[in-house]
Amino acid sequence: MSTALSAVALLAALAVATALFARRAHLLYRIVRLGKPTDRSGDLGRRTKAEATVVLGQRKLLQRIVPGLVHAFVFWGFIVLAPTIVMALLGAVDADWTFPWLGHQGWYFLLVDLFCVLVLVGVVSAFGIRKVQRPARFEGSHLREADVILGLIALIVTTLLGWHATQIALGLNEWPAGWSPVSDALSGLFGDGEATEAFERAFVWLHVLTILVFLVYLPYSKHLHIATAGINVWFGRTRARGRLEPLDFEIEDESALRLGAGTLVDMTWKQMLDTMSCTECGRCQDVCPAWATGKDLSPKLLIMGLRDRLFAEGPAVLGGGEATALVPGAVTDEVVWDCVTCGACVHECPVSIEHVDHVVDLRRHLVMSESRFPTEAGTMLRDVGRSSNPWGKAQSERAAWADGLDVRVLEPGDPAPEILYWVGCAASFDERARATARATATLLLHAGLDVAILGPRESCTGDPARRMGDEFTFQEQARQNVGTLGDAGVTRIVTSCPHCFNTLGNEYGDFGGDYEVVHHTELLAELLADGRLQPPVGEEAITYHDSCYLARHNDVLAAPREIVSRIGRPLEMARSGKRTFCCGAGGAHMWMEERGSAINEERAREAAATGADTLAVACPFCTMMLDDGVKQTGGELRVADVAVLLAEALERV
Amino acid sequence: MTALVYLEQTDGAVDEPSLQAATMASSLGGGAEVHAVVAADTAALAPAGQLPVDAVQVAVHEAFGSYAPLAVAEAVVELAGRLGATCVVGPGTERGNEVLAHVAALLDLPLAANCVAVADADARVTRVRWGGSLLEEARVDAPTLLLTVQPHAVAAEPGAGDPPSVETFTPTLSEAALALRVVERVAAATGGVSLADARVVVSGGRGAGSEEGFAPIEELAELLEAAVGCSRAVTMAGWRPHTDQVGQTGTKIAPEIYIACGISGATQHMAGCKGAKRILAINADREAPILQSADYAVIGDLHEVVPAISAAIRAARSG
Repeated sequence: MSTALSAVALLAALAVATALFARRAHLLYRIVRLGKPTDRSGDLGRRTKAEATVVLGQRKLLQRIVPGLVHAFVFWGFIVLAPTIVMALLGAVDADWTFPWLGHQGWYFLLVDLFCVLVLVGVVSAFGIRKVQRPARFEGSHLREADVILGLIALIVTTLLGWHATQIALGLNEWPAGWSPVSDALSGLFGDGEATEAFERAFVWLHVLTILVFLVYLPYSKHLHIATAGINVWFGRTRARGRLEPLDFEIEDESALRLGAGTLVDMTWKQMLDTMSCTECGRCQDVCPAWATGKDLSPKLLIMGLRDRLFAEGPAVLGGGEATALVPGAVTDEVVWDCVTCGACVHECPVSIEHVDHVVDLRRHLVMSESRFPTEAGTMLRDVGRSSNPWGKAQSERAAWADGLDVRVLEPGDPAPEILYWVGCAASFDERARATARATATLLLHAGLDVAILGPRESCTGDPARRMGDEFTFQEQARQNVGTLGDAGVTRIVTSCPHCFNTLGNEYGDFGGDYEVVHHTELLAELLADGRLQPPVGEEAITYHDSCYLARHNDVLAAPREIVSRIGRPLEMARSGKRTFCCGAGGAHMWMEERGSAINEERAREAAATGADTLAVACPFCTMMLDDGVKQTGGELRVADVAVLLAEALERV
Repeated sequence: MTALVYLEQTDGAVDEPSLQAATMASSLGGGAEVHAVVAADTAALAPAGQLPVDAVQVAVHEAFGSYAPLAVAEAVVELAGRLGATCVVGPGTERGNEVLAHVAALLDLPLAANCVAVADADARVTRVRWGGSLLEEARVDAPTLLLTVQPHAVAAEPGAGDPPSVETFTPTLSEAALALRVVERVAAATGGVSLADARVVVSGGRGAGSEEGFAPIEELAELLEAAVGCSRAVTMAGWRPHTDQVGQTGTKIAPEIYIACGISGATQHMAGCKGAKRILAINADREAPILQSADYAVIGDLHEVVPAISAAIRAARSG
């Protein structure tokens, strides 16, 4: 073929592929533009860092080292090999053409050979994982699409190697062949005759056409993530992970009032982009406590369900059609209510999908627009609003745990304390959790801190209502508490409950409440470091359970461990730190009946397997759930808050 | 304007929630004409005496002799159309809400259920949501205002002046409306005492040990004519059905005396029995949280204590 003819053929192929790609890409773009606003501007530093670590560095993927490396080889390979696409386009037109400068650099072709091999290793391993190992995380994923993509990748790389080999055999290489050990070795398979010339043409054209097929297939398959993941990571959350985006009930334009997600047009554009970024890897499903205990929810299937609905109805909605209900159309009611908002899925996701925000928005719609939620939780919602605590206890009983302790109850007009102890409903009212409040207050007073409580003026932060989707009740509680705290002149708060900790520290800022909030384990660890508390060294084997809202949502990992290591012999569970496993109470599940097997029993068994005598916790809900879990599984472990263990150790002095 | 109010009656007397609905309907629109409609299987069942309405229409059809919400709704829709009613009101009872829901579906209009106040000038309603925890103010955007009135939201007024005129009509009912027939009536299960209403409740917790471990608890309950309850742990373990669960996420009880056997007393359980006048806790664990709330306690294994109590009751009764 003459150069001119080749150029025409290539341009035609490029035009067709680009048109097909653009047509689909434009549709997807228009669908995303349907989405409701969410502010993802600013924080350029954090966004750049996320791109560098999560995308380029493959940080999330490498949390699982083998499949992580498999993906990283292919991904990095694509970056290194990108210039070869231009070289191949030029080479397809004329065998003598190449890229200026880079086409002559031996070191670059060494890299190309190296990554061709690594990509092939990656593809073969990926097939191995999918066909031989068959991990459960792929259950429900589109496996055949992955096979096609892996096949295309293998073809792209082998044709590239074949092309380079024949170039070397024909002396067409513009770089020193010695730098390409693999291609050079392969060139021995070819002579320098006409047959090789034909092979050279065939390889480069097959290479180019495969890339174009890949390009077109991409936006029609789940492998769309190659185009969307980088964008989705860029627009990922940059503010506190535990913070939910508030709904604006005071909005002027009533048509813009959003009560969660009822149909696809209520989803934010980021949520739509989330669904288009999912590549069904199932890392989220693998860590989901609901899925692990036989419930219907899989974060992966949830996102896939929403995506399928988006693609099915999006084009019609663009044409002026009506969208239908997401629940139960795209996902079932059970799926929406199974979630404990532990955030394990979000932490695991390599492409920054925000599953919990999807769940909460679906709940918000069901609760606020349809009054549709597990009926047994209705009492909690009512009691939070009416009795200021989720169990409908009398507020006058709130400080009863402090009877006999010298804890100052802040009266209106009193001077603000150095630090306010926000006890939380569980530690105020639950008999088992009250031990935590007593121990914490005793320790803080013992260390000589000026600490006070609000007593009956403390009210539920609204967290359980918010995680249930009752944003309305939550905001009522938030405004009331921000008022109380403001009137009392509080600037520094210590909490016992990680849920209060998260809400006060990360969410009340949206309602005008800005405080320095610490968890009691952080404050106690500080007092240990200062030498203001000096417990004797202990020998008890203690395993510490990370609360989701402390560890995963708020990075509090070290402080409780410092306390545990001072008073006992720490043993780690298989799932700990930021990859902890929920106790089962999150997302308002403390007030819902559990379906399937029990999450707390699963966790209690895991704790028992460490061989520890004591299961240390730092959350009153974890205390209740895991204590029940231990009893239900017939375990011998003692479940106690870190503060209780520290107070007991000090008593032994 | 004309308002139409749907009345429910029992043995020819209009029910109290319906009178309240009629009272609210008559307060609408400053002197609007208010018609009432009742459904009956014979014309003889027309309501007599004073009512806070101008006229009563009795829809007569044999289908109205039993449960037929869709049929009643069709009659209401027919009459509303004939009268040119701009407002249709019903009582916020289970049946009233069901009939008005069918009316709303037939007319393809929104229904404001369980209203406590209505300003009909701009169709603004205040209504009860979430079992009374929330009052919602809403504006109903519809050519015909459909609403039900929350029972006890307004006091029923008997109506002044002459009793209303009474006419009968035979509604045209669709086949679909007549498709529903009551085949059999079964009274609610009477075996045992209902947990929510029981004067005495005997409950077992994890301490019962097994499904069979409930035998002494059931025995004691029978002697005391009490209902049997259980804790969440028992339901989770599958020893008893969820209908037996006492707690915040189960049944809330208010007995004269609550006997809790082998129940530790988790907060969620105590939230379900806080209506109990007296609590007797039987528990082997001296540290069990329930002892903080109990009026009386026996520290001991329920498998010894409970049979001993039953034996003592028997002895006392025979002696």
